[in-house]
Amino acid sequence: MSTAAPPQKAAPHRERTGGRLSNGAFALLLTAPGLALFATIIIYPLVSALFTGFFKQDLRLPGREFVGLDNFTYWLDGDFLTILKQTLVFTVGATIVPFVVGFALALALNSGLKGSGFLRGLFLFPWVIPGVVVSFLWMWIFNANYGVLNGILMKAGIIEESVSWLGQPGTAMLAVIVTKTWASFPWMMVMLLAGLQTVPKELHEAASMDGAGSIRRFFAVTWPQVRGVASIVLLLEFIWNFQHFDTIYVLTGGGPAGATETFATAVYQTAFKGFDIGRATALGGLWMLLLLVLVAVYLRITERKGDAR
Amino acid sequence: MTTTTSTPLSGTDRLRTSAPPARHARRRRMRKDLLRSRIVAWTAVLVIGAFGMLPVYWLLATALSSPEQTFQFPPKLIPTDITFSNFTALAENDQLITYLVNSLIVASITAVLSVVVATYMGYSFSKFRYRGRRSLMHLVLASQMFPQALLLVTLYAVFSSFGLLNTYTALVLSFTTFTMPLCVWMLKGIFDTIPDALLEAASIDGASRWRTLHSIVAPLAAPGMIAAGLFAFVRGWNDFIFAVTLADKEKQTLPPGLVSTYIGEFQTAWPELMAASLVVSVPVVVAFMFLQRYLVGGMTAGSVKS
Amino acid sequence: MTTSGISRRGALRMFGIGALGVAGAGVLGACAPSGASTSSNGGDTKSKDFDFTSWSLNEEAAKPSIEKIIAAWEKSENSKIRAVSYPYNEYLSQLTLKLGGGETTGAVHLDIAWLAAVAQMGKLADLGSAAMKGGYTNVALDSGMYDGKQYGLPWNTGSIGVIANSKLLEKAGIKKHPTTVEEFEDALRELKGLGGGVVPYAAATKVAQLKDIFPWMQTFGCTLLEENKVTIGDDASIDAVTWYKKLHDEKLIAADVDRFDARALFGQGKAAFYDDAIIGKGVTAAQSKDKTLADAMQPMKRPVLRAGDTPQALLWGGVIAVVKGKGQDAATEFALHTTSDRATTTEYFAARALPPSTTAGLADPKVAQDTFTTEWTEKITDTATGSPFWQFARNAQIEEAVAKQVQAVLVGKSKPKEAMKKAAEEVTDLIKR
Repeated sequence: MSTAAPPQKAAPHRERTGGRLSNGAFALLLTAPGLALFATIIIYPLVSALFTGFFKQDLRLPGREFVGLDNFTYWLDGDFLTILKQTLVFTVGATIVPFVVGFALALALNSGLKGSGFLRGLFLFPWVIPGVVVSFLWMWIFNANYGVLNGILMKAGIIEESVSWLGQPGTAMLAVIVTKTWASFPWMMVMLLAGLQTVPKELHEAASMDGAGSIRRFFAVTWPQVRGVASIVLLLEFIWNFQHFDTIYVLTGGGPAGATETFATAVYQTAFKGFDIGRATALGGLWMLLLLVLVAVYLRITERKGDAR
Repeated sequence: MTTTTSTPLSGTDRLRTSAPPARHARRRRMRKDLLRSRIVAWTAVLVIGAFGMLPVYWLLATALSSPEQTFQFPPKLIPTDITFSNFTALAENDQLITYLVNSLIVASITAVLSVVVATYMGYSFSKFRYRGRRSLMHLVLASQMFPQALLLVTLYAVFSSFGLLNTYTALVLSFTTFTMPLCVWMLKGIFDTIPDALLEAASIDGASRWRTLHSIVAPLAAPGMIAAGLFAFVRGWNDFIFAVTLADKEKQTLPPGLVSTYIGEFQTAWPELMAASLVVSVPVVVAFMFLQRYLVGGMTAGSVKS
Repeated sequence: MTTSGISRRGALRMFGIGALGVAGAGVLGACAPSGASTSSNGGDTKSKDFDFTSWSLNEEAAKPSIEKIIAAWEKSENSKIRAVSYPYNEYLSQLTLKLGGGETTGAVHLDIAWLAAVAQMGKLADLGSAAMKGGYTNVALDSGMYDGKQYGLPWNTGSIGVIANSKLLEKAGIKKHPTTVEEFEDALRELKGLGGGVVPYAAATKVAQLKDIFPWMQTFGCTLLEENKVTIGDDASIDAVTWYKKLHDEKLIAADVDRFDARALFGQGKAAFYDDAIIGKGVTAAQSKDKTLADAMQPMKRPVLRAGDTPQALLWGGVIAVVKGKGQDAATEFALHTTSDRATTTEYFAARALPPSTTAGLADPKVAQDTFTTEWTEKITDTATGSPFWQFARNAQIEEAVAKQVQAVLVGKSKPKEAMKKAAEEVTDLIKR
């Protein structure tokens, strides 16, 4: 449980062993292909796009006109806060729910059930089905007028009339989160299960002998061991969900009445359906600003974990 | 959880309880605990299993139904007139095979490219100390958060002006924007687990830095590289936003391909869509069942140890 | 454990890099490629091979007949046609991207509502001389015009109107089609009374087709646009939306319905009315288990506010446009052949019930003697008008903006008055942009 990074060590290689290049130069050379790629396909597009936010520009037409902060005020006076709120609701929901589901399953599979290896493989299925297909499948399940969910609920007498899951602001966000949960709980389960399997059985037995109940054992023995994996899957899932696109785009298209619009869908639809790349990139710029805050948090977490030695 | 069902006590058990040596009670409680945890475990597996598998069942059931039956309400939970025509129709659809092949090619090249590039970069970040390393590392890692939709605006324009739209190059490069940072991050974690002493030893034995990397470090990191590659593959395999925008018919990948094949103006061909999804997913699922140990090992190697 | 100090330094550096990046943006931005160019997509205009892009190739009902036309052309001209399709709801966006990127050449099938948006890109050829040879009706020719030029050859010209299920009406004891909004409402309530999950009017409530509300707004007296001034937001439009909301709340129309759902509901005999183009008959009947449904489908005049008003309907149709550049000449010939060759259009009509756009084609006995078609023309197309927003390049965004506001009212997030005011503002902004 040592979170403190070991004191900075000298580089493992000494100058003399290398050949012509110094260690620093060798290390930079190693990063060169990556950096070249990184600069061309990530940094340049990003900066160029951010720059476009100050222009009125149509994707279809040549030419553009400098409009200062107009595109930014368009969002700030309009839907920015709504979109931010919805993005956060989706991101947090679609991170926490699959985590809980995945963790529960991992714990169950770790308790020595027969065939848990096979089950683990089987549960990967939803994760490997292309995300768009997942969305269509759930769109089909949630369909208000001939969907199977309404069919089952009606047969069971829980509802009397068809519920329009994707057509109401409240349930639409829920439906999107459920769909995303289905697609991502498997990989979280696999990771957490791997973490759990590193917990020595003896620790549990010892704790049990000491009279610790299952909840106490979980927090005293299990959690410290899987905390590392847990924080990683949570972090990654959070990052991915923050800019997740397919599920929402296919399932609701950001609707009804904009109730599931997130940054990703709003930027995409403004740019590639409305062709208004000035406004699209301005929203992207605002999003990046927010990210700077998140990056600061991210840095703190990775630093504290000692990952970034 | 504290109020879960207690197991009924048998007569002999009760007898033993009446004369309680502390050890017996404890052992009995452990046995009871075990049983209880089994019940809880099975319940969890069943509930989550239902959530995880019923949609898969519905996917299959729909794929086996006739188009008319799919629009019945309430739906028949067990399809009555089962038909395989949705599957046989797939074989006649060359376009679908093109999409499948494209997906495999693009996702594989993306995975290999990302892993190769990330191996060098991750190694450099892990085993060397130099000015700017930290900033660079953070920038690369943080780039996982950069909005794809935003990058896409420029990437579309750039690829368009270089005549690269609808090419594998455009797809691979755009997929790399999200796979490379992830691979760097994963592989750095892997290299961190390789003790510096090993490298010291190699350099004392006179191995060059390249040889150390290629013949000593790389084999040790191989499971991690496979894991990173698998992750990159799945992320590429799943991508929709880049492919739908940058590729057209000939180079299109499966996700947009399925959409443009089965979603029409007048009707959505649910049974065929489901059949196609199933068929294209099965090989990957099977592959993952075999490869999952790498996935797990590689992904957690860098993190579990803490 | 000096981590926090390090992290602050690291963070500061990152921010520094960010600032540098922004500073460098001017340089980078200056050489950033700026959107599409207006030039042609290049290539040999005399090439025999070309593309044909059409959403109808995604339709099971349409695919075989279009493929037949393509195959026949390939055979007789010894050429190769690259057939491309995108789903209808994604079509305009995809086509624009691919056209802008220079991937799309040859002939492209366009909904008449999209013509302006695509023509504005400056990539379409003027087909004025080809159009002279086609023998098209004037209404049809108009639908392919933008800015005084003939950019599209009309393939089908029709309208979107209300289709009724006469069997259901009979069951509910409704003897004749309702002619006023009031009668219509009463009829819907009667139909609701049948129970069994009947959706009396499967009107569009999803954004993709909520533009179907425009004719209703016009029915209530809103002109939508007058001399470039948006009139959405006037009392008539508010009344229309209030009425739509009332139908929604009384479950006379259902939530979460688009054209697919409407057809499916109608096909199951669970909807008595829905909005569709003439083509809907074939599609809906084909996916229904009830093989007598086709005979029960009747075109209906859209109810009016006061008896004697003109029933409203939206013109609808498809044109084929040609992209300047590779294969332009052959594609033009193909477009002309597909839209005006008598045998081809008659056969296409037989397969899809889509009436042709040429005088001769319409006079063909197979077309002229089809009751559903003649009734449709009489009851719906005759009074149909185009949308005043079609002339704007951002028509699709205009329709979506209004649709979103209407949807906000339906789901209870907004009041009709506020929503229509907001819609008017957004539409005005989109027209100017």
